[in-house]
Amino acid sequence: MNSTVVSYLSQAPGYGFLTSKLSEVLGFDATGIVNFLIFFIVTLVMVNIMAAIGGLGTYAERKISADLQMRQGPNRVGPFGILQFLADGVKMILKEDIIPRQADKFMFHLAPFLCLVGVFMTLAVLPFSSGLALTNLNIGVFYLLGVSSLVGVGIFLGGYSSNSKWSMLGGMRGASQIVSYEVPVTLTILSVVLMAGSLSFDVITEAQGGFPHEWFILHNPFTFIGFFVLFIGALAETNRAPFDLPEAESELVSGYHTEYSGMRFGFFALAEYIEVFVVCGVCAALFLGGYKVPFNLGTGDFLVKAFPAIEPMLAKQVGNFLQLGAFVTKTLALYYVVIWIRWTLPRLRVDHLMVLCWKYLTPIALFNLVGCAVWLYAFEGKSIWYLIFKSGAAAAGAHH
Amino acid sequence: MISLPSYLIISFCLFIAGLTVMIARKNIIAMLLGIELILNAAALNFAAYTRFINQNLDGHLMSLFIIVIAAAEAAVGLAIVIRFFQIKESIHIDDATELQS
Amino acid sequence: MFLNIMFLLAAGATIGGSFLTATSKNLMHACIYLLLTLFGVSGLYATLGADFLAATQLVVYAGGVVILMLFAIMLTGGVREFVNKFGIDKVASMGTVKTYSIAGFMVVIMSFVIMKILAPIFKSYAPGELPGFSTTVEKIGTLLITDHVLAFEISSILLLGALVGAAVISRPGRTR
Repeated sequence: MNSTVVSYLSQAPGYGFLTSKLSEVLGFDATGIVNFLIFFIVTLVMVNIMAAIGGLGTYAERKISADLQMRQGPNRVGPFGILQFLADGVKMILKEDIIPRQADKFMFHLAPFLCLVGVFMTLAVLPFSSGLALTNLNIGVFYLLGVSSLVGVGIFLGGYSSNSKWSMLGGMRGASQIVSYEVPVTLTILSVVLMAGSLSFDVITEAQGGFPHEWFILHNPFTFIGFFVLFIGALAETNRAPFDLPEAESELVSGYHTEYSGMRFGFFALAEYIEVFVVCGVCAALFLGGYKVPFNLGTGDFLVKAFPAIEPMLAKQVGNFLQLGAFVTKTLALYYVVIWIRWTLPRLRVDHLMVLCWKYLTPIALFNLVGCAVWLYAFEGKSIWYLIFKSGAAAAGAHH
Repeated sequence: MISLPSYLIISFCLFIAGLTVMIARKNIIAMLLGIELILNAAALNFAAYTRFINQNLDGHLMSLFIIVIAAAEAAVGLAIVIRFFQIKESIHIDDATELQS
Repeated sequence: MFLNIMFLLAAGATIGGSFLTATSKNLMHACIYLLLTLFGVSGLYATLGADFLAATQLVVYAGGVVILMLFAIMLTGGVREFVNKFGIDKVASMGTVKTYSIAGFMVVIMSFVIMKILAPIFKSYAPGELPGFSTTVEKIGTLLITDHVLAFEISSILLLGALVGAAVISRPGRTR
């Protein structure tokens, strides 16, 4: 069905050994339990690493913004200030939990959880590598789009339930921004799905190669424009500057999370940073070749050719680590660009925001979709590099 | 435990809940909530029947069209409610008594 | 076994959510319980092997319709309760105990008759007899373009009409 971490790790010799041992001990077939344990452990690892990335994202933001503004940034807590996010976390946990008296308690408690759940559910399909992705759903991209709309509901509820004017305005603006920018994002993702032929992240990444000229971004001019549309739309979806009017400090007194204090605010902030990571990962997977390593190193075949006596699973593990490294590198490069943009560009006013989405990005995304379809029909899906460099040689060679 | 009657019972419960909401509530938007519940019950029925009885995917397609039409109808219904509120300043169903304007 | 667990969770979310939607007094809470119900229905679609349908349900309903309802509640003056102390509006002429007992008796008789007619359909499948789960995305796509292309095109025109109509109807300052 869908290939998951379990179906990848089940090729390891240790898996069969563990299963048979447990079956002897327990008396019934222990495959289900071993599968569940593997999923549980991998999920635990992934959630913890993502939370750490969320925390380190705050640190990275402060350091990079300091670098852009020619100052130092946090440098007291730990070497180069790297433990600053732990200090922030401890501060947030120890803060008093204030709930406004007229607030709608049920929704006040629910809103940060909706944001967090919506973001963490998207981690299940993110293509970290060909074997270590948690699950390769056949409908991966679609599922990710659906689940990340929960964040919009969470923002709206946070704004409404705080029972304050600023929060209400911030919440409504945030929700309308997220819902509007889903349209160009979905259309651009659709053009990539059109070219790869499937909604699954695995197939889309495998349709690209390791080198930049084999990525979808340089495939045809329509996907090149599409990458920027997706990037801008994704920035707006995560309420990230220059689209951060719902949480702007100078306009709305921090918008929909004004009334939240302590760890609840921490949940909102964590959800935002992890969502930026997820969105950068999606951009990298769809347009920048995802986890593909140049020279096809990711499959581990080079190790098998060099050392024929090596165990095939070990070669695949090495390949998977290389793929993981490639994916994380590309995602973190995009993350740096996101932080860079935040501290460089001024904020967009809310009606400019809506005009940008509906009058500019959506027609461009529609035009991209039609253009990709026409390109696929006219050139049979060959990229522009292939057409320029290969078909000339083929035509010269086939002359006889 | 997963068999056709269990899905039918679930969609029956959804339908009854939606019907209760539509009958007993006076707020127009709440009645739209009930409509959504009823449409979901029907779509679940279609999907359950294609899994257990008839494995060509016509039931899935029917559910897809139900989802599409329910979304369009919710949009238009809510636009009408907003317009109604702009005229009448109330969303109580008993205030919708005139046929014109 | 995990299919059973997922089925139980999704069914619990669906039935619980629908019950809470029907009986909650606050309209915003009812919208949130509707979100829970739609999540449960999406989970049920997943247990039926309809993966594309489950994702569509998530995208359209959880991401679209619920936010739309929340916005409409906000734009029409927020939550004002028209309830009596029992939580649900008492509708006049809903009937008496006699009505309900006669109706219940008739429902029992009619359901016996219908079950008799439908009995041949309810054979329960042994676990090996049902086909395994397979991806439905390509098959649905093919069916949409070949067998059901008319419904597809008409629904696209319907959506266009709904889009334009909703924008035109709710525009302020339109006097007639």
